[in-house]
Amino acid sequence: MFGSFRTRLIATVFALIAVTAGAVGAVSYVLVKDSLRDQLVSDAVARAEFNINVLATADQLSAGAGRQEFETSGLADRFLLRGTGGLYAEFPDGETFASSLGLLAVGDMLSGQLRDIVARGEFGYEFLEIDDTPTLVVAGRRPPGGPDFFFLDSAEDITAAIDQLARVLLIAGLGVLILGALAAGLIARRVLRPVAVASQAATAMAGGDLTVRVPAETNDELGSLAVAFNQMATALEDQIGALVEAHDRERRFVADVSHELRTPLTALVNEAAMLQGRLSSLPDSDQRIGELLVADVARLRTLVEDLLEVSRLEAGSAAPEFVDVDPVRFLEAVIADRHPATRLDVRAPVPSVRADRRSLERIVGNLLDNAKNHAENAAVTMTVGVDADTLAVSVADQGPGVEPAQLPHLFDRFYKTDASRQGGSGLGLAIARQHARRLGGDLTARQLDPQGLVFDLELPVTVLLQAGDSAEMSQLQAEGEETDLTRREP
Amino acid sequence: MDATILLVEDDPSIREITRLGLEEAGFTVQSAADGEEAIVRFRHDQPDLVVLDVMLPKRDGLDVCRTIRSESSVPVVMLTARGDAIDIVVGLESGADDYVTKPFEMPILIARIRAALRRAQLMDPAETLTLGQVRIDVPGHRATIAGEEISLSPTEFRLLLELVRRPGQVFTREVLLERVWGYSYLGDSRLVDVAIQRLRSKLTAAGGSSELIETVRGVGYRAGR
Repeated sequence: MFGSFRTRLIATVFALIAVTAGAVGAVSYVLVKDSLRDQLVSDAVARAEFNINVLATADQLSAGAGRQEFETSGLADRFLLRGTGGLYAEFPDGETFASSLGLLAVGDMLSGQLRDIVARGEFGYEFLEIDDTPTLVVAGRRPPGGPDFFFLDSAEDITAAIDQLARVLLIAGLGVLILGALAAGLIARRVLRPVAVASQAATAMAGGDLTVRVPAETNDELGSLAVAFNQMATALEDQIGALVEAHDRERRFVADVSHELRTPLTALVNEAAMLQGRLSSLPDSDQRIGELLVADVARLRTLVEDLLEVSRLEAGSAAPEFVDVDPVRFLEAVIADRHPATRLDVRAPVPSVRADRRSLERIVGNLLDNAKNHAENAAVTMTVGVDADTLAVSVADQGPGVEPAQLPHLFDRFYKTDASRQGGSGLGLAIARQHARRLGGDLTARQLDPQGLVFDLELPVTVLLQAGDSAEMSQLQAEGEETDLTRREP
Repeated sequence: MDATILLVEDDPSIREITRLGLEEAGFTVQSAADGEEAIVRFRHDQPDLVVLDVMLPKRDGLDVCRTIRSESSVPVVMLTARGDAIDIVVGLESGADDYVTKPFEMPILIARIRAALRRAQLMDPAETLTLGQVRIDVPGHRATIAGEEISLSPTEFRLLLELVRRPGQVFTREVLLERVWGYSYLGDSRLVDVAIQRLRSKLTAAGGSSELIETVRGVGYRAGR
């Protein structure tokens, strides 16, 4: 739409210039042409009047004179001496006279209109093409009965001048049209430049850059458009800035709160741990209270640690750190640490990869915690594989699973499938997914048939060594053999 | 184990419960509540190991750690905020041997303390190793380059010993974590990287070749032959 507006603007300006140039050209052509012809005609007519009324008077030529009398009178030579280009005459008896042989044919070319004018005793004229030469014919009858004289003057000069004028006008017109096209383009660009600038700025703003402004160069409507645009941009920037700031404040507050909680929590965790070792020395009636206290301190700790993890992820302060990971050994270690009952299913040799190990530990650890908390005593199976540049880890439990409607909400913060169930902060799966997505991968959940839940993690990684080499190397290292391993690098 | 530990922690609750836990584990505990007191205590008590909080009033833990390192090779275990990656790396670079993140659990802190003490007190067979200009007197815990002694912390010493015992063999970070620090597979590999950096700069400062400890990209480290 913007493009067509530009085109329309150019076309309008161009048409305006073209019409103006055309009109000026046409009018000046007609005026100059008429003025040149009028000059020629009035001179020729004046000469003809003089020839007939002054020279061919009765004492020179008798009324109704014939050709013979005219030839002997010597009038023809006098006419020609006065500047007439050629002469053709018709006598009452039907005889004709021509000053040169070629002009005898003029009699057949004359229009009836001119003859009528002459017959009325008036002077008349017309333009004829004689011997390829434009010629002005001025005619008049010697009163009362003739003969009729036709004075011939070449109009070649003025025709050439008029043709020249037409050519000049045409060339000038073309020049004006070209200039007009250029001017139209320039004008359109100049007029539309603020619009183009505003359009670019709006696009940049839509892309998220709120700092763009439009220069308000002119004092016209486009200038006020720029001013209005800038006001809108400033208002938007202020509002979004305020929102971002509020969000930042909130995030910092959560981070600060979690951070501040950490110190008393450290004391609490250790006090609870020490209390746990002494539970048996408490009176029976107090033992249960002690157990509950220890369990709740553990819950509080998980919650605070997860909140800290969330604020770190939100702040984006922890950059991923890519290190070499042997996935099978790594997963075995995480399983031993978090949920030792898990079975690790390795279907094909798994090569070493480069990955953010701490994030990976977070994700897999949280999935195992989740299985431990929500599928108590159910079998948990982890599968691992590397396909091209993707590390795929699935954690499947045969626990009670969830309602289909709950499936999409599993990764929501503080989402609890079962209000009565305790354990876990309600943040673990959200944190796991956030880690996965931050690394360019994803974490999804699906139902297991007939019952249970599967979490699928897919992470882009760089494959380092072939699976065979990796297995061999781990074995060699385990044995501590003195072997130059670098030779095995591909 | 009858080792003396200097516990530097500003929070009274944490200080007291940690002291109780450590004493229960058989350590003798001296404590300090701020950075200045920590330095005074350290010089006076000559502890076998320092447990050092990073966030301290007066002088922060990193500063205290650097001061201790300039005077002694005593093992230092830092208490840091979990996951504050910069804290951890800066702490290790200031000379700490290991770290435990808050909120920590007593068994973990005790395990890290024992591993660090073991590195310092390990009784080694009477052997002397040489690799190029480097000469290691194992029972004396001394290393020299062209006869000149290099001052190494126990961790750095054990790291060098591990590498020099098998020249040319590549050790992955995990293997070094396990052998030097006593971690299972889930240890923080930055411990190795920072310690290698420190060790390498000490060796080159004493005139050793920078190729003495080589980095094998994507695998780990090895002592050059």
